[in-house]
Amino acid sequence: MPDSFSGKVAVIQFPGVNCEPETVRAARAAGLEAEIFRWNMSPRLLNEAAAVILPGGFSYQDRVRAGAVAAKDRIMDKLSDLAGKGKPVLGICNGAQVLVEAGFIPGLHWEKIDLALAPNVMSDREGYYCNWIYLRVEENNCVWTGEYQEGEIAPMPIAHAEGRFITRDENIIDDMHRNNQIVLRYCSEAGRLDSSFPVNPNGSIENAAGICNPEGNVLAMMPHPERASWLRQVPEDISGKWRAKRRGSCFRPEKMEDEGPGLGFFASIIKEISG
Amino acid sequence: MKARAELWVKLKVTDLVVETAWLTLTEKLDFDYLRGLTKYSCWFMKCEGNSLEETADQLNRVITLDSTFTNQNKHKYSLIIEGEENKTGEGKSSSIAKRGDLNIDEDFTLRSEASSGKLYACDCFVTELESDKNMNYTDRISGRPGDISISEMRAGLVWRLIIEADSRNDAEKKAEEISVTRSRRGGLLLNPHYQDFEIISTVSLSERGAN
Repeated sequence: MPDSFSGKVAVIQFPGVNCEPETVRAARAAGLEAEIFRWNMSPRLLNEAAAVILPGGFSYQDRVRAGAVAAKDRIMDKLSDLAGKGKPVLGICNGAQVLVEAGFIPGLHWEKIDLALAPNVMSDREGYYCNWIYLRVEENNCVWTGEYQEGEIAPMPIAHAEGRFITRDENIIDDMHRNNQIVLRYCSEAGRLDSSFPVNPNGSIENAAGICNPEGNVLAMMPHPERASWLRQVPEDISGKWRAKRRGSCFRPEKMEDEGPGLGFFASIIKEISG
Repeated sequence: MKARAELWVKLKVTDLVVETAWLTLTEKLDFDYLRGLTKYSCWFMKCEGNSLEETADQLNRVITLDSTFTNQNKHKYSLIIEGEENKTGEGKSSSIAKRGDLNIDEDFTLRSEASSGKLYACDCFVTELESDKNMNYTDRISGRPGDISISEMRAGLVWRLIIEADSRNDAEKKAEEISVTRSRRGGLLLNPHYQDFEIISTVSLSERGAN
């Protein structure tokens, strides 16, 4: 483990997460310096980190509730401080659950729990769902989506049982709209919003797939961009502009290593952290 | 005959979810008045059958055969059936039938001793909003041969919190603080945006002499 994270992206490894190596690889492929940061390392080391990513998996084996135990961890005290000061923080899948349980997202009242990532609600089935879906990037000021155009559609894999953004407080939804915080929404391959399964794969409010804080430096997203960072990871039967790219790479190994639709999330913060 | 039935199910071995919750609550969140913690899967239902004992036997057969409710290799359980009313519908019957190898009325394990206050055991029932699980459980019981009809079903988790407090009200207030996650440094056991919470029982352990 490195003893300095100066200028690097720290990918937090809580006990039970399992996407940290591939997240580090994707961040490096985007041109970032990234290292795994064990949860029990000195939180002070995070001071010098350029950004922090909470990867997917099952922190603390999802005991009690997905993300709930990790959200209380000592390292989250430091992360709360740094995120409050503007450090870019990305939570992917279980990382998103941790950020929601920690009250960083939606972040309207810092550390207050205004949202939940509840069990999926789907027609005629329940529980875990794993598939490729389509995301629409909405107008926003989030530092993690700068590489995408407003309205751009990106295919991305999801794999979760508890990914339904929900709140009991209708005012929270209004506030999130007002602040353009719902930055990623589940949509059809043509970009149409539809609240029913499978376009909205988990019953999330407002088709939300990713929500940032009002300042735009913290993003919680359920899809896995690290699993869509190379063209070789994209299914051949995907629709839209990525279909042609993916099919064009068949039997051309060198093209298979080209950028995939998820790499932009990692590339987006290069300008932010170098500026 | 109408009856209320309660099924309480607990792991025979150490429940690691409870261990993690205990460490989180006492070491990360400093709820130093928490003295004990246990978790049960619970089903509370209203049912109707031919007689109390027959209903108890039929329900007992279903829950021991269907691993949705219990797995005999890893669970202890308590099935309690209480007659709701007599044939004319007047007054309450005190008839109770019990099955199973778990005595929930005596299952109070202290992890740390009380310092000065009294001890209370608060049973916090946590259910999910917008879940169709209750319907599924009803179908699983009704789908088995027998004469039981289920009219109401509530399924969820019961966290039994043993709390040091000055009074019953104080204990219930502290149980809510521990249970409901309102902030990062707040409670742990449920997220109020998709889960409901109810204290279904508070027992004074000091009065029972359990301390």
